[in-house]
Amino acid sequence: MIGFRNVTKQYAGAARPAVDNFSLEVYDGEITIFVGPSGCGKTTCMKMVNRLIEPSSGEILINGKDNKSLNETELRRGIGYAIQQIGLFPHRTIAENISTVPRLLKWDKKRMRDRADELLELVGLDPDTYRDRYPSELSGGQQQRVGVARALAADPPVMLMDEPFGAVDPIARHRLQQQFLDIQAKVRKTIIFVTHDIDEAILMGDRIAVLKEGGILAQYDKPEKLLTEPNSEFVANFVGADRAIKRLALTCVGDVQLEPVQGDGQQLPHVPEDENLRDVLAAMLAGGTDRVIVLSCEGEVRGTVSEQTLRSLFRAPAAERAASGAVQ
Amino acid sequence: MGDEPLIRWRWVRRNWSDEILPALGDHIVLCGISVLIALAISIPIGIAITRYRRAQTPVMFLTGLLYTIPSLSFFAILITFPGVKIGRTPAIIALVAYSLLVLIRNTVVGIDSVPRETIEAARGMGLTSSQILRQVELPLALPIIVAGIRIATVSAIGIATIAAYINAGGLGTLIFRGIDRDFPTQILIGAGLATLLSVLVDFGLLAVERWLRPWSRRAAARAA
Repeated sequence: MIGFRNVTKQYAGAARPAVDNFSLEVYDGEITIFVGPSGCGKTTCMKMVNRLIEPSSGEILINGKDNKSLNETELRRGIGYAIQQIGLFPHRTIAENISTVPRLLKWDKKRMRDRADELLELVGLDPDTYRDRYPSELSGGQQQRVGVARALAADPPVMLMDEPFGAVDPIARHRLQQQFLDIQAKVRKTIIFVTHDIDEAILMGDRIAVLKEGGILAQYDKPEKLLTEPNSEFVANFVGADRAIKRLALTCVGDVQLEPVQGDGQQLPHVPEDENLRDVLAAMLAGGTDRVIVLSCEGEVRGTVSEQTLRSLFRAPAAERAASGAVQ
Repeated sequence: MGDEPLIRWRWVRRNWSDEILPALGDHIVLCGISVLIALAISIPIGIAITRYRRAQTPVMFLTGLLYTIPSLSFFAILITFPGVKIGRTPAIIALVAYSLLVLIRNTVVGIDSVPRETIEAARGMGLTSSQILRQVELPLALPIIVAGIRIATVSAIGIATIAAYINAGGLGTLIFRGIDRDFPTQILIGAGLATLLSVLVDFGLLAVERWLRPWSRRAAARAA
């Protein structure tokens, strides 16, 4: 749906380009992450999609059309936009903020109000409590939710999100990330998501583009591939020495071949089946055991998984793990 | 003097409708017109210099210069200009000139106070530049602009009393006549009404300023 074709951005007076011959394909209904250290041009790449920044050369295709051929404001109204600093309008209520783009599109009042309420529900804020408040009356995390709701308001097929959960503490961020993945499972938007945090990239991304300084695309792959087969020293370092452990985080324990419970497993720690393998390993380490009991969502015992199993999954190349059903 | 009262209320009652009220009315009209004209000049200039930053220093320098001219000299200089007759016109010109500095400055400060990310988000969502100005920048700047109007109006009410010297009318007329006739009642009524007018305008516009910012009012109420 969105294609970058040899996009370069050279600022006047800069020694080298901010974005250098950047080409990739963003797929429909997926979250594509642009990740990299600061100064890697990830935000610049994103802002060229809705023409907040114009490329020096190359083109960006949206549904096959060069975005330069589209009217700037109409293009932007059709693309959801959420940023780290949120940028809510301080003088407008939460409902009015959410209705910004619908208002530009001249929706009628009732439709705007219903949509605002619907979105507040979606992001987990009670409409009756929050719709008439001003942004300054909300916490940072609540404001970020409103920012996301505002970006979703006119139901745009494409969304650009620049560290949309960056302004909150780690615990709130994790909750927002999970919640956003739940929302995305329902709405299936085509999303470009910018972050500097590789863990967020791996958690959120269907595909990840790792950029390095000077706006050069280092690697573009699915998270699994990126972790198992980083194509360069740079990517390996960027994803971190703990990339093996991060890989564990990609798999739910419920998807692993479980073993039956031997004897009485009373002393073993319990984990829910939707826990990822990294947290399962953490539970083993915390419990001082080499085995944990996996519970179904209803709280019934499904079986056990051993440290041995984790180790073997760990060594297995991605293809085999997929074949054994270990990959979600 | 001796048992002479400070204010002869009988004089006040007798001259209330013929002299005092018209002077007060003139004063209000003089200041009102001046501030309105100054606003009509300052807001567009203020907006323009937030767009063309290079013009900001010269504009602020020029209006700052106007502001430093002592009022009596300013009136005097103006009536030496060909075509400018003694009376209300030079007074209005001077009062407008004095108001420009604070009104332009507060317009600029108001617009600059709008968070960058708010503008960025607005642009990213597809508001045009004029929509951003009308729907985001001006509403957010308005309380600060009104604060400027408050200062400008209160200053104008004070300076306008001196304009009576060049026959501009207003409460200054009472003061000057009172001085000429060595009649304290007339002086005190003129000065007192000018002060009262200042105080009322100050409070009134302060209330308007607060009313224009429901968002910060509500946040403060919640925090308290």
